[in-house]
Amino acid sequence: MRNNRNARLAKALLLGAAAFSLTGFWQTAALAQEPADRKAFFGEQHIHTSWSVDAWLFGNHLTGPDDALKYAQGATIKHPLGYDIKIEQPLDWMGVTDHSEYVGITKQANTPGSAVSKMPEAQPLILKNPNDPADVAKVFAYLVSLVSKPPIKAFMSPQVAGTIWKENVKIADENNKPGTFTAFCSYEFTSQYNFRNLHRNVYFRDCAKVADQPFSSMDSWHPEDLWKWMDAQRKAGNELLAISHNANLSDGWMYPIDVDSLGRPIDAAWAASRDRNERLIEMKQIKGQSETHPLLSPNDEFANYEISSFLIGLPADSGQIPAIVGSYARQALKDGLTMQDTRGYNPYRFGFVGGSDSHNTGAPYRQNNFYGGHGINDGTIETRMAGHIFTGSDVRWESPAGLSVVWAEENTRASIWDAMYRKETYATSGVRIKLRFFGGWDYESDILDGQDWVKAAYARGATMGADLPPASRQAKAPSFVLWAVKDPTAANLDRIQIVKGWTKDGQSFEKVYDVVWAGDRKPNAASGEVPPIRSTVDLEKATYSDTVGAVELKTVWTDPDFNPSLHAFYYARVLEIPTPRWSTIQARQLGIEPPGVVPATQQERAWSSPIWYTPTAEAREAATPGLTVAELTQNEAAPLDENALKTLVVGKAIWVRNNVTGEVMKIRYDEDGSAAILHVGRDALLPSLTGDVVQASYQTTASRYEIRDGKIVTHISGTPISMAVYKSTASQGGNVAREQETYYGARSNEFGYANYEILLKGPADLVELPKSDDIADKDQSKYLHTPEKE
Amino acid sequence: MADETLQREALSSRGVLQGLAREPLVHFLVIGGLLLGGYALLGQDTAPDDSSTEIVLSVDDLAQLLMIFESKWRRQPTQDEFNLMVEDRIREDILYREALSLGLDKDDTIVRRRMAQKMQFLAEDVAAQQEPTTDQLRSWFAEHTDLFTVPQRISFRHLYFSPDSRGSSARDDSEMALAELEDAPLDTASAESLADPFMFQDYYGDRALQAIAGEFGPEFAQAVSRLEPGSWQGPVKSGFGWHLVYVDNVIAGRVPAFEEIEQEVKTAWLGIQKADAWREAYDDMRAKYTVLLPVPAEADTAAVPAESRPPEALAPDREAPL
Repeated sequence: MRNNRNARLAKALLLGAAAFSLTGFWQTAALAQEPADRKAFFGEQHIHTSWSVDAWLFGNHLTGPDDALKYAQGATIKHPLGYDIKIEQPLDWMGVTDHSEYVGITKQANTPGSAVSKMPEAQPLILKNPNDPADVAKVFAYLVSLVSKPPIKAFMSPQVAGTIWKENVKIADENNKPGTFTAFCSYEFTSQYNFRNLHRNVYFRDCAKVADQPFSSMDSWHPEDLWKWMDAQRKAGNELLAISHNANLSDGWMYPIDVDSLGRPIDAAWAASRDRNERLIEMKQIKGQSETHPLLSPNDEFANYEISSFLIGLPADSGQIPAIVGSYARQALKDGLTMQDTRGYNPYRFGFVGGSDSHNTGAPYRQNNFYGGHGINDGTIETRMAGHIFTGSDVRWESPAGLSVVWAEENTRASIWDAMYRKETYATSGVRIKLRFFGGWDYESDILDGQDWVKAAYARGATMGADLPPASRQAKAPSFVLWAVKDPTAANLDRIQIVKGWTKDGQSFEKVYDVVWAGDRKPNAASGEVPPIRSTVDLEKATYSDTVGAVELKTVWTDPDFNPSLHAFYYARVLEIPTPRWSTIQARQLGIEPPGVVPATQQERAWSSPIWYTPTAEAREAATPGLTVAELTQNEAAPLDENALKTLVVGKAIWVRNNVTGEVMKIRYDEDGSAAILHVGRDALLPSLTGDVVQASYQTTASRYEIRDGKIVTHISGTPISMAVYKSTASQGGNVAREQETYYGARSNEFGYANYEILLKGPADLVELPKSDDIADKDQSKYLHTPEKE
Repeated sequence: MADETLQREALSSRGVLQGLAREPLVHFLVIGGLLLGGYALLGQDTAPDDSSTEIVLSVDDLAQLLMIFESKWRRQPTQDEFNLMVEDRIREDILYREALSLGLDKDDTIVRRRMAQKMQFLAEDVAAQQEPTTDQLRSWFAEHTDLFTVPQRISFRHLYFSPDSRGSSARDDSEMALAELEDAPLDTASAESLADPFMFQDYYGDRALQAIAGEFGPEFAQAVSRLEPGSWQGPVKSGFGWHLVYVDNVIAGRVPAFEEIEQEVKTAWLGIQKADAWREAYDDMRAKYTVLLPVPAEADTAAVPAESRPPEALAPDREAPL
């Protein structure tokens, strides 16, 4: 068993090494040009045509991959409903990603007299009235269930699937014009296990070196098997990478931390396999964004953006609620750091791109050109604004497509693919913001004034998607060079932010810094946040004006809270000024109120791939170690059983200190299963998955808890998080031995650390004031009747 | 491929029969055949003959299965995987034959479409084999120069007046600068001091309108295409603010010389030959057929002029073969 595992690991390492040396070779080949000469190429990495089973069901019978590639280059094509659609501005590159599952089957099932149409398996696929959305929804649900069940062999003719893939490759070749327009050979692996979106787009580097047939979820729904197949392809010289999408619709399955989709514990080999194959994630598309959720990032006031949380194809009467935990990229990046720190591997070191996932062959990228992405289901202004519901989604939740931007030497497959592989990419919400982002140790604050600043920034640091170079001795903290220019056909810029994540003792944290902004706004003295920019949106006319905001924003920013002993990542986020959302524009066109189920305005944005910081072993050891459950039990601490735990907390109020941050809070557990957390301030440093505890604390909002299996169990939007409590009398984690017993709590999402100490006596005062002489009672009145008006 | 399988089976079935005589499966089949024969005597359906119930896989067939597996997985299959592949292949054969015997191929759209597609490929391939001479290409190019026109290209210098630093006075400032620059020669150094640094380039050489639109927005590109070369002009509005523009020169759209683009001409020519060959081949085939279409009932045709009705309409059942 052990040998077997070692062999697997060795194999994975070998494959990894092979992949690494190959990339090294390409990079040297590409480096004939200066990195500073790299240009931003805007592209679409995710689009479906009538060749996709579900697109056919949505009424897309007219247009195929060739039309998609022509649309990308500026040609007018037909929407499935027959009207003309045209892209706002031609793209530099595209990969058509039709589903590899049941290619062409729906089309055949709906062709009277075809063999498929007579098969019993195909009966649920036959539309009675192709224009009736209810019928289409039924068939779609059946298809989704097909993809999650063992494959129907009768549909899996390799002749059909293989031929269509070859045709796809041929069409890409015909449209590929090196230097002008790049067409990739790509497809979508559509794993949809139990309605969970585990989809990946697969991108080949070279159309002359592709697989004979795509690996589909009919072969296996497990992403692990896809990676295995990708490794085999790479070994055979068919270089490729995968891009996951719609983590937001994955019910928490996109970014697991404990077990993989096969139920096996996640290990170093799994992490290496994921990292080797899944280089990028899709940050935003028509079905929402996957960056973060307000419940996961309560201190990020821009997290409440294009939320879309449903399960594709879930039966309408199902009570299933999709999980938020495990469904967003920022949390995965944070968990990745913690896994690196506590287990020695990080599966989540991905870069960002955007996409559409339109099933219309073409896609809308702008609010003022929004024609949906699902044929008849959202193809008319009436269906869109009527709040039509299909596959569990309200059409009004949809959003224009995102874009992928790569910094590459030239517009060729090899150059763009290599940039994707090294993650020198960023995602936008659909607009053409230009964004550069560098991190290093000795950037001068005036580096941006130099003519050749890009060259200097590349030479002395790392760009998006890479690791910070080793720290120079004298540097105290890393600096970041940020530069963004607005889309000349869209709104001005509001601000650039840096999102930082870091980890300590099994906990992970995030902070959003405003680093440069338009106008003369002053950051809020208490929170440090730059106040919102004035909105110029006229809701009645559904217009905005560029009278606020900036054309260009740039700065050099140094991390003020840097701790050299902790793993960290940094990514840039650029925000435009508020503009009307498409639903507001179309409400005006229909003469109705903007819908209340979505915001009336929104701020377009761009996200750079992260830059990572890894402490040296020396620096890491310099940090005070935390207390682990393993150490506790080794020191003869014992977990409390159910009764002991009930005696300790039920019907009681206890004080708890987070030993990582030093924060102290009080928790009341009532007899009926409600708990309330108190005294958590908005400046508290809170670890991941605590929810909006600041607001709950201020408002004394209770939430449910239960004592189960010797643990206190609470929930973050349905995801259980449990805390085991250990009783110890020995010396623990640097603390001296106590005369009386001490209780330590270990949360289930903190990677084996027992970070919470239950204080038998709480503090009388929670704040330590600056040391000064006591104020005598007779002087107290001096502090009263202070004028409060200027 | 399935056709080949059938032929191979027909050829080799006798030789293999003897080897199979000891197999329990064969006993089962024989008994089955007898039973079916019995039914036949009782006036039931005739049993299919032996060769259509035999499935013979040659070493080549099995090797091919292995090859497909290896091309996908880059390794040999395990015994179980191999067994499964063989069973899948057998199932495919059986279903194919059963489908044939039920006549499912007759009006199957996939089969029809694939065969029709093959006809098209055949016709196109014939055209593709025809290698054009340079003279042929040259004269064809001369007649179709419009397909190869290179768009207009513009070289220009510009001065940028940024709303970030000037706010709403950016336009006025650019007009004042223009007054200073009037009749001045193209002297970049002094001109630059009047304006703001631009985040991309100050000079753009040989750019097509689409490229200019990509950088500055479409309005700016349109405006610049209308400027006279040789002096500072403006102000011109872009998505970034206001600009004064000095157009150096305009290279009019042109038709390149044949020698520059011979390969491109050849690709285009071949494409058209293919399309023509296909159309001609189809027209020939189409000419051999008479097509009957359904017509509406008498009452509905009253308004339709007699001469526009299909001549051989099958009025009674309003159905017609196509």
